[in-house]
Amino acid sequence: MDLLAQILVNGVLQGGLYAVMALGLALVWGVLNIVNLAHGAFIMLGGYASWYLYTYLHIDPFLGLPLTAVVMFALGYGIQRGLLNLVIRAPMFNTLLITFGLEVVLTYLAQLVFSADFRTINPPYAGSSLALGPLVLPVARMAAFAVAIILTVGMWLFLLHTRLGRAIRATAQNLVAARLYGVEPRHLYAMTFGLGIALAGMAGTLYGTVSQINPYIGASLTAKSFAISIIGGLENPLGVLVGGLFLGIVESLTTLYIGQTYADVASFGILVLVLIVRPGGLLGRTT
Amino acid sequence: MSSSHTGFLSRLFLLLITCVPVFAAAAQDVVLGASVQLIGPVANTGRYYRDSYQFAIDKINAAGGVKIAGQSHKLVLKLYDNQSDVNLSMRQYTQLVTEDKVNLLLGPFASNFALADSAISEKYKVPMVQGGGASDQIFARKFQYIFGTLAPASNYFGSTISMLKLLKPAPQSVALLYADDAFDVSVAEGTRPMLKQAGLNIVLDERYSTNATDFNSLLSQIKSRNADVVLVAGHETEILNFVRQAKSLEVAPKMYSFTVGVPSEDFRKALGKDANYAFGMTPWLPSAELKDRWFGDAEQFAKAYKAKFGYDPDYHAASGAADVETLVQAMEDAGSLDPQKVRDALARIKFESLYGPIAFNANGQIELPQMVIQVQGDNVVEIYGLKGLIKQPKYPMPAWNQR
Repeated sequence: MDLLAQILVNGVLQGGLYAVMALGLALVWGVLNIVNLAHGAFIMLGGYASWYLYTYLHIDPFLGLPLTAVVMFALGYGIQRGLLNLVIRAPMFNTLLITFGLEVVLTYLAQLVFSADFRTINPPYAGSSLALGPLVLPVARMAAFAVAIILTVGMWLFLLHTRLGRAIRATAQNLVAARLYGVEPRHLYAMTFGLGIALAGMAGTLYGTVSQINPYIGASLTAKSFAISIIGGLENPLGVLVGGLFLGIVESLTTLYIGQTYADVASFGILVLVLIVRPGGLLGRTT
Repeated sequence: MSSSHTGFLSRLFLLLITCVPVFAAAAQDVVLGASVQLIGPVANTGRYYRDSYQFAIDKINAAGGVKIAGQSHKLVLKLYDNQSDVNLSMRQYTQLVTEDKVNLLLGPFASNFALADSAISEKYKVPMVQGGGASDQIFARKFQYIFGTLAPASNYFGSTISMLKLLKPAPQSVALLYADDAFDVSVAEGTRPMLKQAGLNIVLDERYSTNATDFNSLLSQIKSRNADVVLVAGHETEILNFVRQAKSLEVAPKMYSFTVGVPSEDFRKALGKDANYAFGMTPWLPSAELKDRWFGDAEQFAKAYKAKFGYDPDYHAASGAADVETLVQAMEDAGSLDPQKVRDALARIKFESLYGPIAFNANGQIELPQMVIQVQGDNVVEIYGLKGLIKQPKYPMPAWNQR
């Protein structure tokens, strides 16, 4: 019983991390209709940014989150204005190609610049934990989980209640109408992509404090984020949170009862099921 | 994962920007061909092979090259980057043999690569000496042209298990985790009977997918089943995650041991203090007792290597350098460049190298015992070898909050 409870806790905490990873991908996908295959590479870059901030400037990874976010936002804004905007009206295949190319370039540039060595963001509290009865709650994972909740709810409130957020949603729903109301799509798309990349960067920070960073982590993180976005739905950040938690718990239980090698089978199996049964995602509209 | 990761376009693109122009070897040069991982997920181990091959070749050339039938030949390395992609690696070995017409082959890194690439050397009957693949599968197919200088995967934990009997309090239960690739499955298959024979109780025996990042559930199971000993056969990235997550979940068995990581500086640096107490194994340490015709001994090899490349060699590098020496020795023994004659010379080769005594069994694999090593503070300490206990192990491992 204790084991099952611990496994569920592990799953929930892992799910929080998954949610942050997927948040940016889902936002960009939902608004720009670009499946950003370089998303994982941006998570990797965010991890390196935090690693450098922590190792050389001794800035705590969690306190440094805003700084990482700003840097990554600027990078994302620039890439959208300079590169992705060229294909924004192009067929889906072109956007896939260009973001795939971006992934390759970022990954191998990262190997040139950072080398293939492993990095870990390892503040003193990274390995400590709290005891709750028989349960062990790792501090860094709980902090990452808290950040996940804050970012998700923050995104949700931002999209609902700010002018920019409403403009983003309006553009996603009906571009022509949004333009008639004075929304400038080029700027807005770049803002959205920048936001998505900032979220990816922060996910990289959290990932680096609980796992390890090397130039090649991106592709599998993109795949995971993709699955979570589909499962949760693109319309609502809360959906992504639900999708992440769901996947985290399913993977943990699969590992316990069936075997770790089946965790990916389970998560992608669920992806297929969701596509068949609720194509809009767990929290999406069913129509 | 690599097939989805580096699709056709990326390969084409990278091939264009990374391919080093081929320089034509002068007629009497002996060309050794190899394809190793210079980019991609295992690039940081692939570099050992690129560096050690070139290092050994330069050293041998400086000493006059390889002497065949009274004539000296210079060695030349023809190296491709397989980008951590098995399919590309197979194509490159085919190209090395059929188009570049290299004389002999050196191996790639990692068992799954050696397993695939040895099919090429077999097909074209060009001997390959490889120091990057340890899986018993590579040698179980009765191939004639593949020779390996890494100790057999099935016996990686052999010395560790014999050491367990000497520990007090004696461990009773073992958890065995292994990744789902050729090398690690071989390790697990070899380890199980040894554990049973030692009278140890296997409380957890789990396979996990290569590149897994989340070990929390497996760790929770290890804790709830009270495993005294945890043996993990996997890759460095997985073991980094394993140790970090063990700490955060306060999972501290009496001891744990890993097939990879402990000998390499990069791994220990990434873990910092948390690497302490981890056991591992290596068939090689830079000892002055390992005499070598070209480098003097293993200690001098290690020093010169570090001075040239800026990082410490581990057994991968020593094995790679020994592969070059093995080919040279075999050509000299055979007195010929003829692949068939060199193969026959390889089959009965026997010489001392910086890596250890080189000789192959009937399957073409070396028989080399593993030394048990442990991280103690900032050092990697030799704990147990053929002669028994060398240094006292730090055992049992203290709880994480008492370090």
